[in-house]
Amino acid sequence: MKVAYKKKLNDFDLDVEFEIPDIGISVLFGPSGAGKSSILNLITGLDDNNRKTQSSYFELNNQVYDDSSKKINIKPWQRKISYVFQDSRLFPNMNVLENIKFGYKRRKSNLNIDEVVDKFKIRSLLNQFPQMLSGGEKHRVAMVRSLLSNPDLLILDEPLAALDYQSRQELLPYIECIHKELTIPIIYVSHDIKEVLRLADYIVIIDKGKVVDKGNIADLCIEQPLMTQAEGASFILQGKVSGVFKNESLVQINIGKEKILLTDKNLILNQNIRVLIHAREVSLCLNPPESSSILNCVPVIIEDIQNDINGKLRVVASLSGQTLVAMISQRSSNQLNLKKGSKVFAQFKATGMIK
Amino acid sequence: MDFSPIIVTLKLASITTIILLIIGTPLAWWLSQTRVKSKVLVESVVALPLVLPPTVLGFYLLLALSPDGLIGGLWSNVSDSRLTFSFTGLVIGSVIYSMPFVVQPLQASFEMVGKPLQQAAYSLGANPLDTFKNIVLPLSLRGFIVAITLGFAHTVGEFGVVLMIGGNIPDVTQVLSIVIYDHVEALEYTQAQNYSLGLIVFSFIVLLITYSLNKKLMVRL
Repeated sequence: MKVAYKKKLNDFDLDVEFEIPDIGISVLFGPSGAGKSSILNLITGLDDNNRKTQSSYFELNNQVYDDSSKKINIKPWQRKISYVFQDSRLFPNMNVLENIKFGYKRRKSNLNIDEVVDKFKIRSLLNQFPQMLSGGEKHRVAMVRSLLSNPDLLILDEPLAALDYQSRQELLPYIECIHKELTIPIIYVSHDIKEVLRLADYIVIIDKGKVVDKGNIADLCIEQPLMTQAEGASFILQGKVSGVFKNESLVQINIGKEKILLTDKNLILNQNIRVLIHAREVSLCLNPPESSSILNCVPVIIEDIQNDINGKLRVVASLSGQTLVAMISQRSSNQLNLKKGSKVFAQFKATGMIK
Repeated sequence: MDFSPIIVTLKLASITTIILLIIGTPLAWWLSQTRVKSKVLVESVVALPLVLPPTVLGFYLLLALSPDGLIGGLWSNVSDSRLTFSFTGLVIGSVIYSMPFVVQPLQASFEMVGKPLQQAAYSLGANPLDTFKNIVLPLSLRGFIVAITLGFAHTVGEFGVVLMIGGNIPDVTQVLSIVIYDHVEALEYTQAQNYSLGLIVFSFIVLLITYSLNKKLMVRL
């Protein structure tokens, strides 16, 4: 999927160009007012103020929806893109069943209505009108309605933003369920790093109308303070929960063949998770300390040492095949005699991590 | 009691309301959707009858509808009849006179439905006409009821414009308000009373039905 738009907005100029994989969840990430919604409105064709659009190109499944150089601008109802809006936008004159059949009747989906209704647990709501539903229920109905409209691309615009914590936790598994069962790409818009870590396969970071960074979430050594809410580099480890210690509020996570501990109360056994760690909270040592308050100490192999700002060094290392980054001073590096290929130990606190 | 003024009045109000719905719905829809700057111009023209004395409106209509006038001249090309002092002329006058009472509530209710729901319908594969029929119309029912009632009632209560362009021809252009005026002029208070009281009761019942219908719809939506 190729996206390229230039448009004058009120506060700044939107100028983006990126490609998104045709499968999996791609997150458009950035602060409020960064231009994410403007991009969505262009992709879906719902932006009807074309006068300020300087150039546009959008291609989905080898079908060109927008191309300003050829004066192509497909109407929104002719694009097979379903949009789950932040405010769900169910039709108040129809009950839930009529709502979810609205797109289904018009676009002939292959999905079985009954199956989807049961999967999203909305069978008991079918005869109710939207005004009777809770926020979480409305979103589930809106998702079902969009899924049943047989889209080539599904857009979820901060579907969790308007919900309370409880409803969010309830809704997340349904989004993961869409992800697993559908082969269509999903664009997920968010400004919440936790959602990104949990859901994203691919990420495009947007700020002030520009693409700041993009890539597979696992490869991306994230350096965007706006994303990690911390200065300097961060990295992501993917793993599986292999032990839960309720009394200590700790969980054990397998990263490849290594194990780390993480402070958390909500994770369950065998859950696949991603952990975001700030590079400045990682220290390196030649031998594992015999006694330390720092719980995590894992062997790593140094792959690269780069100069960073403020005279610091950025050490990129491999932990069971995954990338780990540590920020250390020049002096420490000299004392430890670090170089490419060195086998050392990385230490970090269990609390120094964001899930 | 002579029933012909009642029949002329009801006929005039019904035809006017139907024509206003046919013209007013697309006009109100356009006003609710458009972003062109000339929109305020159209809105002001539509609202003019709200502020003008009916005699002013009637005077210019009389000029326009007369055989030498703009509309009357065109009319004389297709028909031998004349527009002034005819039922057709009365309908044209009423349509203009009652226009804001139909267009404004419709525009307001279309705006209430709003872009967000239309966008949702588009993203589910419904084109604008489909969206209008299945989303906008059902959600604007109350606006239509208000528009129909006001358009109809306002035409029934019309006096000045009718007097200027329709005159007082029994069975053709003689409407209730004029008959009542005539009776009062002739000091025939009993007859004036009969028509007036009838009009009050009729108007009250129409409004009563409208408001209770409106309330029912409000509960549903």
